[in-house]
Amino acid sequence: MLKAEHIKKTYNAGKKVALDDFSIHVPQGSIYGLLGPNGAGKTSFIRIINQITQADSGDIFINGEKLNPNHIRDIGYMPEERGLYKNMSVGDQILYFAELKGMSKNDALQEAKKWFEKLNIDQWWKKKLSELSKGMAQKIQFVVTVLHRPHLLILDEPFSGFDPVNANLIKDQIIDLKNNGTTIILSTHRMESVEEMCDYVALINNSKKIIDGKVFDVREKFKKNIFGVTLSEVSNDQFENFKNRYEIFNLSNENNLVSFDLKNETGQNNILLDLVNVGQVRSFDERIPSMNEVFINAVSNHS
Amino acid sequence: MNNIFLITKREFLTQVKKKSFIILTLLAPILIIAFGAVIGLMFKANESHSVIEVVDKSGLFRDQFKSNDKLDYQFISAADEKAKVNNLKDNESLDGILILPELKNQNYDELESGSRLIVNSKIGLDTKQKIVSDISNVIKKEKIKQLGIQEVQLDDLDKSFTLKTINVSNDNKEDSDLAFGVKTGLSMILMYVTFMFIIIYGVRVMRSVLEEKNNRVVEIIISSVKPFELMMGKILGVTLVALTQFIIWITMSVIGALVLNTGFSSLQKNMPGGNEQVMNKLDIAQLATQISHSLLEMNFPLIIFVFIVFFLLGYIFYSSIYAAIGSAVDNETETQQFTLFAVLPLMLGMYGSFSLMNNPDGPLGFWLSIIPFTSPVAMIARIPFGVPAWQIALSIALLLGTTIFMIFLAGKIYRVGILMYGNKATLKELWKWIRG
Repeated sequence: MLKAEHIKKTYNAGKKVALDDFSIHVPQGSIYGLLGPNGAGKTSFIRIINQITQADSGDIFINGEKLNPNHIRDIGYMPEERGLYKNMSVGDQILYFAELKGMSKNDALQEAKKWFEKLNIDQWWKKKLSELSKGMAQKIQFVVTVLHRPHLLILDEPFSGFDPVNANLIKDQIIDLKNNGTTIILSTHRMESVEEMCDYVALINNSKKIIDGKVFDVREKFKKNIFGVTLSEVSNDQFENFKNRYEIFNLSNENNLVSFDLKNETGQNNILLDLVNVGQVRSFDERIPSMNEVFINAVSNHS
Repeated sequence: MNNIFLITKREFLTQVKKKSFIILTLLAPILIIAFGAVIGLMFKANESHSVIEVVDKSGLFRDQFKSNDKLDYQFISAADEKAKVNNLKDNESLDGILILPELKNQNYDELESGSRLIVNSKIGLDTKQKIVSDISNVIKKEKIKQLGIQEVQLDDLDKSFTLKTINVSNDNKEDSDLAFGVKTGLSMILMYVTFMFIIIYGVRVMRSVLEEKNNRVVEIIISSVKPFELMMGKILGVTLVALTQFIIWITMSVIGALVLNTGFSSLQKNMPGGNEQVMNKLDIAQLATQISHSLLEMNFPLIIFVFIVFFLLGYIFYSSIYAAIGSAVDNETETQQFTLFAVLPLMLGMYGSFSLMNNPDGPLGFWLSIIPFTSPVAMIARIPFGVPAWQIALSIALLLGTTIFMIFLAGKIYRVGILMYGNKATLKELWKWIRG
């Protein structure tokens, strides 16, 4: 769906580099997470896709076609710094933004009706934004972003400022849109939403892409062959023996249950065979790093 | 283009629908009229009617003194003098007694030293001056009579010299003093309207830019339209708001004038018209025809054309500066240091144009009306007096060029500025944005 190739973007006449040789590939119908600390270059990249700014060099292709002004109508964008007109009625704003995206008034009205019913907010149409609560305004903001049926949806920190109820509601809508074929780019520094929602992810730090790929693959890549074990009815002799052969940490002993982590590269089946002799295996799992750990790891490795 | 139209439409509708706009538009003319009326009333309230009794022992003044609505002369006989002076303190209907002694041997110095004005309260400076000038006039006439000069001869001596001015560049038409006055008036009005329009509505553009920036709505819009389109749409939208306000005000004043006019003429008909009033009416009618005549004599298509061109170009020129300022700052208090740049050249143009009235074709007028920063007001101030075509053409070309350039510069600042938050822009930074 979207391909970025060797994007370079600098500010202040080249003194500040925002993106350096940045390339990603966003597959059709996926949710793609852009992860990175503040100031890493995520917003710069998103603004380039939205044609708010231009890259110094490099190309972006949407469905194989070089990025051009016609694509704007096909993109829905919710920036991190977002808001609406306070003194305009909800209905007027929705129509205004839809018309700016090239929709006809009738088309926009019909689509708006669908969304207002879906989010159960159809009684707000004539209200001014200043009469609505923040949570209500957030729903309107989302409708504004998706009303023109974009094929590519770009959400910059979509959950910042949303209360948990609205965040969940919007999350469900995003997943719905994805299931209907919309490609979604989601920029965030909140890792848990990436784990829950994203199919693909790219980590950006200091204007460079550190790693990208399927979320599963990225986490796999950062795993360190650490396993968590819980045993009962431990035979002390055998355990001493076991401890000499394996690197063990985080050991705890509560209610006759012995838990610990171990690091080993011989493969889980071999470890299990040894554990069977030590005691009854209550649980055994490989510690796959969370996105948070991946992120911290990757960033510290990188810098 | 369609986007600019949509933005213009929104800008126009939201501003026009605002309660403050409706109230201000409807109330402003009423307020102005009320303000004028209050000032008029204040002047009226301070006017007094004085009654002065005159004891004229010389007999020279009796036929010469003329009362008017502010000062009433009443002649009394010399015999009553003493009693009147004694009672003056308690007499509320009388303001003073003027005593003019007998004239002996044509000794006017003695007359002067013997004259007294006895008053019972403070008498206005105006009244005193009128009395003094009335006395002086009579004495002057008397002295002239003694010299043996006829009054006709005197009038002839006083006759002012009228210098006919023939303007070769302007169809050999001469400018009477009245025509010059009419032109000055017109020129001041046009200039002032332009000046106020640019300041008031330029600031409105700036506010609207700031509002979008503060609402954080701006990034959503420029993901759909180009920043330049947004800026232009805004400027055009505010222009339409201003025109709407103008049209409403003009309609209101025309209706008001018509209503007042019928009221005025019926008032005059009903009044028992004294001789003087008929005279006044004639004068006013004559003056009105003369004024309208000099107005009609001017090249109106040219004046209107120049007014519209300079008005619009000047407005777009300055509001693009205002738009750039609005984008570069975070709140209205920070705008002040920058708005100076937008106001100062206009002020220069306007105050320069005041002195330009003395000599519309002088070098100051020429340069002010050619340099683009001041030309929107200065050329409009000059145009009723007639400006050579090549100067108009040069000035328009320069203004058009700089306006396009200014829109380009403002667009550059705007594009960067609207996405900058919490960053107090300095001039150095603005320069960077322009280059970047």
